[in-house]
Formats: sequence, C-alpha cells, structure tokens
Amino acid sequence: MLLPKFDFHEPKTLNEACQILAAYGVKAKLIAGGTDLMVNMKKKILSPEQVISISRIGELKKLDTSGDSIRIGSCFTVADLSTSDAIQKHLSALGEGAKNLGTPLIRNLATIGGNLGSARPAADLPPALMAYGAQVVLNSLSGERTLSLDKFFLGPGFTAAKPDEILSEIQIPSLPPHSGAGYINIGIRKGQDCNLVNVASFIALDTDGTIRNARIVMGCVGPIPLRASSAEKMLIGQKPESALFARAGAAASLDSTPIDDFRGTAAYKRDMVGVLTRRTLDIAFREATHRQ
Amino acid sequence: MKKLINLTINDQHYEVAVEPNQTLVDLLRYQLGLTGTKKGCEMGDCGSCTVILDGKAVNSCLVLALQADGRSIQTIEGLETGEGLHPVQEAFVEKGAIQCGFCSSGMILSAKNLLDQKSNPSEIEIRRALAGNLCRCTGYQKIIEAVKSVPQAN
Repeated sequence: MLLPKFDFHEPKTLNEACQILAAYGVKAKLIAGGTDLMVNMKKKILSPEQVISISRIGELKKLDTSGDSIRIGSCFTVADLSTSDAIQKHLSALGEGAKNLGTPLIRNLATIGGNLGSARPAADLPPALMAYGAQVVLNSLSGERTLSLDKFFLGPGFTAAKPDEILSEIQIPSLPPHSGAGYINIGIRKGQDCNLVNVASFIALDTDGTIRNARIVMGCVGPIPLRASSAEKMLIGQKPESALFARAGAAASLDSTPIDDFRGTAAYKRDMVGVLTRRTLDIAFREATHRQ
Repeated sequence: MKKLINLTINDQHYEVAVEPNQTLVDLLRYQLGLTGTKKGCEMGDCGSCTVILDGKAVNSCLVLALQADGRSIQTIEGLETGEGLHPVQEAFVEKGAIQCGFCSSGMILSAKNLLDQKSNPSEIEIRRALAGNLCRCTGYQKIIEAVKSVPQAN
C-alpha cells in the first residue's frame, strides 16, 4: 500500500516547526505518532504535499505536575500516560482512557496531542480531559493562545486549530480536594476496537458533602464529545447517592444524540450512556471521598 | 528526493538512502532483505509488522523510515544468537504456538517486549500485551501457553 509522495520536515524546536507550518499552511500535515495520519494517507483520504514531524521536539514530550495546573506536552505518548504514576494519582480517568486506547503497539506510538487533533468522535482521551476541564495550548508564529477543550472540537476530524497552529500542550487545572473522576468505554472487543460508547464523569464535593461541580462527557453519541448538561445541572447542589446517579444517567441518555450504525443501534448506545454515566459517577464519587 | 539515514538494526549499523514516503517495514523488507517482519493489513491493525523500536514494540507499517533515523530497531532476525533460538522462540516451538507462522514474528516480539519489562507476567497481562497481534489461525491458546512457559530469570 503506497503512501502519496510528500516532502518531509523534521524540526528540532517548536518555533522552527511553526515557521515551516506557516510557510505551507493547508498543504502541510503534522505527524507525531502517525497512527492516524499514516492510515489516512495510505487510504488516500489525505495527500499532504508536506509532512512535518514534531516527534523530535523535546519540549513537546514533558509532563509537569509541579505548578497550579498539570501540563502534558502534545507528543507525550499514550503508553507513557497509561503507565505514569503521576497520571494515575492525579488524573486516573485519563489514565484509564489511555489504557483502553488501541493496542500496546499503537499506544507506544500514539500521542495525546494526536488523539485530540484527529478529532474522532469515539476517541478515548477527549471525554476524560474535557471532564477535568482541560484546555489546549495552540502555537503559531504570531504567538500562543489557550482554548478550552469544550471549544476545540468542531466536528469529526475538524478542530478550532488554524492551519498554521500547532497543539503544543494540554493543561489540566489541579484537582480541588474531594473531587474525582471516572471513565468507562465499551466496544465489541476489549482491544483493537473503536468504542461503541465512552463516558467520563467528574465531580467535586463541598465540605458539607454536596456536589459543588459536575462535568459529564459522552463520546460516540454525537459528531464531537458532548457534555451532558441536563445531567450535570441535576447533580449540582445535591447529596451524592446512587438514586441520584441513576437519574443523572437517565438525563444523560436524553442529552446524547447517537445514530444507528454497524457497531450498534442508537437505542442501545443511548441506554449505555445511562449505564456508563451512573457507573462513572460511582467511580468519581469513590475517588472524591478519598482525595484530600 | 531520497535522504540518507543512519540506524541500528539488530545491533548492526546501517546507512541507507530512503524516500520520504517509504515506511519502516518497506525499508526492512525490500531494501534490507529482512523479510522476517511481515506485512499484513498495513493499517496498524494486525501487528504482523511488529518491531521493537528503542525498546518499544510498534507497528512498523505506521512508522516512516525517516522517523527511524538515529534509532535502534530489533526485528525477529535479531533474536536468535550463536547459542540458538531466543527462549520465547523456543517456547513457541515447544508449545506448538506456530501454525501458518505469519503472525509469529510479531507475536514473539510483542511477547519479548513484555518479558523485557516485566518478569512472570499474569495471563491477563500476557493477553493485554498481545492484544495488537492477530492470529487468523486463531491459535491464541497455544501462544498464551508458550509465553507463560518461558523460563524467567528469577
């Protein structure tokens, strides 16, 4: 299976990468792990004239948990996310997403930035990251801007990143005490499969034990990962308990907009949104009661 | 236009000229004659092209040859030493874990990569580590048994 012809660039710094991307714009595609772009190029879905590898840029591979927010470089691999103690401790739902992405062979190549930039509706990392309130840092020659992940996805394969912008970093605000998150994905098989439904839930508790903040994100049931806003509203200000989580699950089902396809019917996916919402809220609550 | 790259394959140094749109698996098979690495789906689904790149098992059909510049690669040809087959290869032969053989090089490299990182893995860990390698003879049971039976250092 032949790849289309292209010129290859391998900048050593982010600034150099921005310069090359600015020169070629829409004629260029960025490659990091390559697990998405290589397949699309082989299928001739994409035929960029220029391919710019950002996988040798050291500054894009860091994981920094020292400041007010956790900062993950866009070229940090999914395998490293899935085994990192820091991710497990601070962002367990993201770690769970990483463990369930693709296969070990894919995880060793795939990057967190690629999983966001490819903007697949069934991707494993966006729900947890959105539930944690993450934002992305976009760099270009004209500077740097940050954007909430809620505003980043525009449709399948489309993001708010401009043709000259490089996703350099993902920032997640440090978790408040008594907060937690959960992520569950289901598919036909455990490995090497596209998700049927995936849900991440985040809750933060007040000192009196009521829910101060809640974010529920549903994948595979819309063109982009969706927030279950009516379920979130239902939770805030309430005492966490299983009956409430079941009602929130039912509300999330109604917030979702799944379609029938060869993986499953819309009705089944809608039901599963309810189940996964309830279960991820259980996980989030358990974690929240332990986080100081 | 071809570019010159330097890489280490099975502890041997190579300097080769490659096209930008050449994949690592094509470099190995067609330019260097290392045909032990198989080409199956070419989409990163089947794992028959598995190689160990800087200590990590990856699909070589998804890596550009240029991306392998300066890096170290281990293929199935590099496992056998003067003393004979690698213990994982030996276990595959012993347990009848090879049927048609097409998935074997990838399976063996994924298994070796697991055992390099973790001694005495559980069955679940073995199954997870091999999740990216498909066997269309569906001989998975013997493969799992083979990996379990590999003698461990401790």
